[in-house]
Amino acid sequence: MSSFSVGFRSSGVVQILELNGELDAHTASELEAAIQKCQSDKQYHIIVNGENLQYISSAGLGVFMAYIEEVRDEGGDIKIAALRPKVYNVFDLLGFPMLFDIMETEAEALQKFTDGAS
Amino acid sequence: MRAAWFAKLPAKSRLAALDTRAGRVALWVMGVTGFVLGFVYHGIVFLSGKPAAMGLAISYNVVVLLAAAALWLLLSLLFQRRPASTARLFWSTLFVGGVVLGSSWLVSLIGRPSAAMAYTAGFDYETGVPLTLATVLKMNLLSLLEVTFAFVLLLRFRDLVLFKRSRSSQRNWYLMLGLMVFASLLVFMRPPQSETHWLDGVVMVPAVLFMVINSFRLSWIVFLSFREKIASIGLSLLLLVLLAFKLASMDDAMAMGVIDITYFAYYSQPLIVFSTLALIFGILYCTTAFLSLLFHLPTTGDFQRKEDELAAMHSLTNLVSQVFDLERLLATIAASPVEAGAASATWLAVRDLGSGSLRPQIVATHNMDPVRVMELVDVQAFYDELSPSREPLLLEQAPADHRISAGPGEGIGSLLVIPLVARDEMLGALFVTSEVAHGFEKDDVRAMGVFAAQAALALDNARLFEEQVEKERLERELSIAREVQQKLLPQCLPVIEGASICASSVPAQEVGGDYYDYVHLGPHRLAFIVADVSGKGASAAFYMAELQGVFKAIAPIAPDPKDFLSHANRALSETLEKNVFISVLYGVLDTQKEELVLARAGHCPAATIDLNGSARFLRTRGLGLGLDNGPLFRKTLAVERHRLQPGDVFVLYTDGVVESRSPQGEEYGYERLLDALRENRHEDADTLHDAVLAHLNGFIVEGDYGDDMTLLVLKWHGITLPSAKEQRANGAENPVAGSRGDGSESQENSVPAVPASTKA
Repeated sequence: MSSFSVGFRSSGVVQILELNGELDAHTASELEAAIQKCQSDKQYHIIVNGENLQYISSAGLGVFMAYIEEVRDEGGDIKIAALRPKVYNVFDLLGFPMLFDIMETEAEALQKFTDGAS
Repeated sequence: MRAAWFAKLPAKSRLAALDTRAGRVALWVMGVTGFVLGFVYHGIVFLSGKPAAMGLAISYNVVVLLAAAALWLLLSLLFQRRPASTARLFWSTLFVGGVVLGSSWLVSLIGRPSAAMAYTAGFDYETGVPLTLATVLKMNLLSLLEVTFAFVLLLRFRDLVLFKRSRSSQRNWYLMLGLMVFASLLVFMRPPQSETHWLDGVVMVPAVLFMVINSFRLSWIVFLSFREKIASIGLSLLLLVLLAFKLASMDDAMAMGVIDITYFAYYSQPLIVFSTLALIFGILYCTTAFLSLLFHLPTTGDFQRKEDELAAMHSLTNLVSQVFDLERLLATIAASPVEAGAASATWLAVRDLGSGSLRPQIVATHNMDPVRVMELVDVQAFYDELSPSREPLLLEQAPADHRISAGPGEGIGSLLVIPLVARDEMLGALFVTSEVAHGFEKDDVRAMGVFAAQAALALDNARLFEEQVEKERLERELSIAREVQQKLLPQCLPVIEGASICASSVPAQEVGGDYYDYVHLGPHRLAFIVADVSGKGASAAFYMAELQGVFKAIAPIAPDPKDFLSHANRALSETLEKNVFISVLYGVLDTQKEELVLARAGHCPAATIDLNGSARFLRTRGLGLGLDNGPLFRKTLAVERHRLQPGDVFVLYTDGVVESRSPQGEEYGYERLLDALRENRHEDADTLHDAVLAHLNGFIVEGDYGDDMTLLVLKWHGITLPSAKEQRANGAENPVAGSRGDGSESQENSVPAVPASTKA
């Protein structure tokens, strides 16, 4: 059974979610719960750090699609950072870079939020 | 219910052998012949006026004893076929006794002997020869009556003595009978006037001893109701009087003056001894029964209650094994305490097991309307109090409790709430009320606890059973869904000049989200699609079905990849969940232009290889369907055109191919796919298709793709292939041999059987 966990961290107003393990149909609900928690905490500036994300399935990608609209409607965004090449490839195949800011590092993503805010 | 124990009596094997029509007829013949011969014998003696010769006398005695034995067996069979309840046994014995007594009296009226003969009752004192014909008649009839009664008495009491028999009680009974018979046979051929032998007494002692032992077999008394006990007391007393009277008349024939036992004495000595012993046993048994009944009378109520409780428990235990009807089970659980007499009203509150709601529902009531229960009692409050402790809750004075709005005299005097716990889960609570305060004793609470445990078990079983039924129903539904989905995939492979195509699809579960299809756009053009709905299982299957409709409808009218995918994206965006998208590879093959146009909407890139082994992935730009329903989709979609060279191979697949893992967890990946292609690029489409699948299955655990897996191979041969002409001559599309994409089949055989492809 694949294992997956979400770590919470914040940098200023930005909530950082650190993904660990494999994100698939079975574990997608954990990421959903994490994003829902951000929403209920009124944290709409979210960075998903994929440094330790080993695998993502289409159901895992679906989680991002499920919430991006709501988060953007609240003036926030979900930015994705530090994906491993293999995981990035899955995002890329579906065209996610055209829909999401996917940065190489968390710092770049943070910078993007700062740039956007100013 | 009370007569049920008869059914449990083991059939008597020895008797059973005789219990046939032939056996019974034989016994009848034997008995009747024996008694008639006895009559004839006495008639001859009377006519000759002197005692019969020794040999004849012995024969007579033997014949009479055999006739008696036949009578015993006949009666035994009769009673075995018509068992009576314990209370009726006394009554029938008494009845037979009365009839025998009356008949004896009537018979004794026939031809009263003259005063001279009165002392010897019409027999010659010296020789024992009957002096009148009436004497002959009377001695035969009276003896028959006496013997019959003695046998009836013993056989009827046998059912009482052997009630709930054990090996030892059965042994004691047959020992007693044996000793009685032995004592009787000792006096064989002895004249009636002779003195008793000392040996008779010795033999009598053990017989009487066993009679006493058997007289204390009285366990049937416990099971009688109060009325039955009263009746049995009266009947046993009457029977006792009757038996005592008969015994007294045996002792001193003349003194009683009613029935002259002398007739019997001249008839057969062994029979009179046996009858006497039977009478003694009857008197002993009636005495112990009478006294025991008397002493048991006050405790009858308690026994009755215990028995009712046991019966209620028993009926519930039976229900555990027949839990097919949950409604009936609930009703029975609610009814049992009332039927056992332990409560005045009951109801059963159960958590809604389906919805998982914590709110208890009243699912069954007995003696009280559910609406009234809701009015009078705060079921929820009690339920909540019970949930953590799971201990029975007893309110001795219910109306005083704030959770009960019933006043005194409204039917809820005391309330007992018992949790129903099975497998460490509280399934519900049984509410038991009594009309009076302090209506439940400690042992009531305990008994109800045991009952509740049984009930919980039954309920749990019923629930499991329903779940199982539901599961099987779902499995059936899924297997239907699977068949329906298989029909959505192409049943034939397309035939198109110059190209060969082969494809297969295997869902990871019963149904999946992968899709491939073709549609002819004219004699030289073919549109084809490979798609993957995100996620898997039933939800993906629905979207796959929708996509199938979209493809079949739109591709013929808007075949251009950009047009088709834009239309499909718009059509599907309306219905797709936000978190669901579909990746698609769509292409159009034009054999006339020798061109293949391909567009990738977020899908795994198609692999292509030419005759020289130069391979690459066609990674054009494009969003998955359902990710963006604005202009972005069309704007970002790129289309790639290929001039076809003979030998060009295009491989379209879903991530079930490249993401399938080896037992070590390593993905098959893109490079291995290209390796497989390079190695087999000279083969035609179906061989190539199989070779790729074989290569994949050699890498992973056979057939375990982990995700829905689809593989489509298209090979361009050029239009001059001779086989194409043959194919054209043969006609239209080939049916798929061994329908592809059948998951279970393919999973069993790691590599699907010979692929059905069409060489064009």
